[in-house]
Amino acid sequence: MSNYIPTIGVEVHVELKTKTKIFSNARNGYGQMANSLTNVVDLGYPGTLPTLNEEVINLAIRAATVLNCKIRREMFFDRKNYFYPDNPKNYQITQSRTPIGYDGYVEIEVNGEKKKIEIEEMHIEEDTCKSAHRGTRTLLDFNRAGVPLIEIVTKPCIASSTEAKLYLEKLKELLFYCDISDCKMEEGSMRADANVSIRKNESDPFNTKAEIKNIGSISNVGLSIEKEIERQAKLYDAGETFKPQTRRFDDKLQDTVLMRVKETGNDYRYFPEPDIPFVVLTDEMIEEAKKGIPMLPDERRKVYVEKGVLETNANKLVQNRPLSDFFNTLLEEDTDFKIASNMLLGDISAYLNREEKELSETTLTKERFLELVKAYAEGTITSKNLKDMLDTILESDKSIAEIMKEQGIENITDDSEIRGVIQEIIKNNPESVSDFKNGHDRALKFLMGQVMKETKGKANPRLANEILLEELKG
Amino acid sequence: MKYLNKGIDEIHELLKSKKIKPIDLVEEAFENIENNKELNAYITLNKEEAIKTAKELEDKEVDNILFGLPIAVKDNICTNGLRTTCGSHILENFVPIYDATIVEKIKEKNMIIIGKTNMDEFAMGSSSRTSYFGAPKNPWNTNKITGGSSGGSAATVSARDVLFAIGSDTGGSIRQPASYTGIVGMKPTYGRISRYGLIAFASSLDQMGPMTKNVYENAVLLNAIVGKDPRDLTSANREEEDFTRFIGKEIKGMKIAVPNFLMGDVVSEEVKNKIKETIELLKKNGAVVDFIDVKYLDQAMILYQIIAMGEASSNLARFDGIRYGFQAENVKNIEDVYLETRGQGFGEEVKRRIMVGSYLLSGENAKIYYNKALSIRDDMRKEFNKVFENYDLIIGPTSVSTAYDLTDPMDDPRKSFMDDVLVIPANMAGLPGMNIPVGFDKDHMPIGMQIIGNSFEEAKMYQLGSFIEKELNLDLTPGGEK
Repeated sequence: MSNYIPTIGVEVHVELKTKTKIFSNARNGYGQMANSLTNVVDLGYPGTLPTLNEEVINLAIRAATVLNCKIRREMFFDRKNYFYPDNPKNYQITQSRTPIGYDGYVEIEVNGEKKKIEIEEMHIEEDTCKSAHRGTRTLLDFNRAGVPLIEIVTKPCIASSTEAKLYLEKLKELLFYCDISDCKMEEGSMRADANVSIRKNESDPFNTKAEIKNIGSISNVGLSIEKEIERQAKLYDAGETFKPQTRRFDDKLQDTVLMRVKETGNDYRYFPEPDIPFVVLTDEMIEEAKKGIPMLPDERRKVYVEKGVLETNANKLVQNRPLSDFFNTLLEEDTDFKIASNMLLGDISAYLNREEKELSETTLTKERFLELVKAYAEGTITSKNLKDMLDTILESDKSIAEIMKEQGIENITDDSEIRGVIQEIIKNNPESVSDFKNGHDRALKFLMGQVMKETKGKANPRLANEILLEELKG
Repeated sequence: MKYLNKGIDEIHELLKSKKIKPIDLVEEAFENIENNKELNAYITLNKEEAIKTAKELEDKEVDNILFGLPIAVKDNICTNGLRTTCGSHILENFVPIYDATIVEKIKEKNMIIIGKTNMDEFAMGSSSRTSYFGAPKNPWNTNKITGGSSGGSAATVSARDVLFAIGSDTGGSIRQPASYTGIVGMKPTYGRISRYGLIAFASSLDQMGPMTKNVYENAVLLNAIVGKDPRDLTSANREEEDFTRFIGKEIKGMKIAVPNFLMGDVVSEEVKNKIKETIELLKKNGAVVDFIDVKYLDQAMILYQIIAMGEASSNLARFDGIRYGFQAENVKNIEDVYLETRGQGFGEEVKRRIMVGSYLLSGENAKIYYNKALSIRDDMRKEFNKVFENYDLIIGPTSVSTAYDLTDPMDDPRKSFMDDVLVIPANMAGLPGMNIPVGFDKDHMPIGMQIIGNSFEEAKMYQLGSFIEKELNLDLTPGGEK
């Protein structure tokens, strides 16, 4: 197989996380009983009219902003006319001529180098209903009809399956973090189509493209692009060509399969939707929508590392939105961020996983967490203490000091008491003392162990260490 | 004893003083409709429900002037639990589970819906002869058309079956049949009345309005049905006003324009003469009347065809037999469901308009035709705005002729647009337009005058209309007083 340069464009449909649908007041929800979240507007009953959910405009502005798009101030909707059973009015309300966002980009990092994936446009539209085929019958579930979508279209600027995957991961992270969408590909709240063509040289015109529709996961997007490049290359190598076509990715075959050859002149008879007046975005609306944008993932990673968090931990935190959000509430505080991140990702995450809980379902507050981090940093509690106390910390409202007292893990911080214990140990272990003096560090650890054993682990480790060194040197 | 030919103030007093009950009016209405059965004004009667409602009202306080009065509603307006066919086979058995906003408002006033009136299929026509349920007949001469598409509403008000009817007007469908049947018909400003529940023909033009025997009653009914509706984004947010407030006022000093186009060669001499007589009357009473040129009026009909048919082709796409309405039997696949259901369900005129509309929106045509039509329409609006900088109102004839024979040929599809050439401009510009009767032709068929107002100036139109009505004092009961 000879070498070809692939050109890839990706179209993503994302369902917006609104309370109600885009053009009706029916609830927007997933996984409910078929046809329980629908009304006469969604069903396209005669005489019904669309209203416009302001939440949709708000989220779309937010999306356009984080995708670095220009925002159109005056826009209308268009009708896209085509007959299909999943299309209740037999037209879909979309934005064909005046997409809300255009000329944007998403930045990815490929092999250590930054690359901007350019966004041609993003527009608002309504989802269709869902059809299920049962033998010779087709069943329709209108719960999805009228769910708000944004469609995000890249320019044909993606050079590889890896770039496509990185783009989708980045897109997903951004939209998820901004509460724009769940971005669950397995539930269809994020759906991707890939347009693929290949050519021999950079200077050649673009060749015929194939569109792979509705790919169910990011990894399958990568795989289907690779398979499609391979298929096209084989055809060209054999001196063959192909017609523009729509394909799908078959999970079982792990390959793309032809759905239909595209007919020329697919005619959607677009015209401006007369039932919805012009939408004019004011500065206030845009500002209001931008307020909903939290600190974005890249920014979070950067700030965390600046605060002393390990890079791997910074990444792990960002991957766990609730922990990251909690962590963000600490950023203005004077605390040990490294310990804080370790604690969240370590013992606290372990607890949450074991109990199948969200952080918000525990009793942990910012104040109590700071108290805990402080105690640990100062050596008032040991990591063993932490493990012992954690369930109580996360399930009651008691202060850390109170819990320590209750569980009898009040550590000895009394200078003279520890000194007495240490002096006794030094007296009883002359061999170790001389080992230490001869430069054997292990002896120090042994002696510390003895201190802990003698105090049943209650000695403040830092304090004990200091006194031990003093006594040994003295 | 007959009550429904009396004025509403008198009926209201009778109801208030308990001399009559709503049931008396309802029974009389059904009796009238039965006697005038030949008119074929109704597609569905709401007899049981109307009687029930009337009886329930007996325990309620007569709290407004429309209380207990029977009303007919055009059959393209959705009524909860009451069949709504749009004059079409495809919705022959369609029973909505929701009320149009206008119907809710009617019910809030405790008016009683008597039935659903006959109309051109999907309001596409100007003689009501495209109705799947047969054409309604003109009470002045049952060999004549009622006009359309609100022909049933016009006929039943004209025949004095009921006091009120609601019509809809996309390109003259209230005003033109009102002129043919000698009644008052108002198409208010686009956006005045919520379109929620009106089965769409051409969304950017459709507007419902009152059809009544006189101007005052028209204004009273309009008071009850206007208003911003959160369910219709194109409905207008206006302060509440009383549309009767200028009725009875002088017209001295009123400036009135007569566009030359409305008095052109297409209009019959008889009609033109009657309008001229009325103009003389206005002048005599101190109004200033000027004949002026208004640009684009001659293009309104073409623009209308492009916009209305384009929008209709999309609006009517939902009728596919899948979720409601007629579905063809013995279909083999989904393609068949569409072809057979729509092939059998729609009549010829509707199919013609869907096809032409689809063509007009196809590919490059959308730019060549539809978008261009929208832009010329904007120019036309601006042209009207200029007229209203100098004039209070525009007048002219409503129709080019009086009602013609039911048996006249229907083989020229352009004829129905030609019938509406004078009424279409108001729709194109979104302006309010009203018909008032101003006389009769040699066969004693009614002639109507059209009053066009600036946006949201219906009250001023009623002022002029009521003045003419009072001055002419015509006997507008077909066949004389009953």
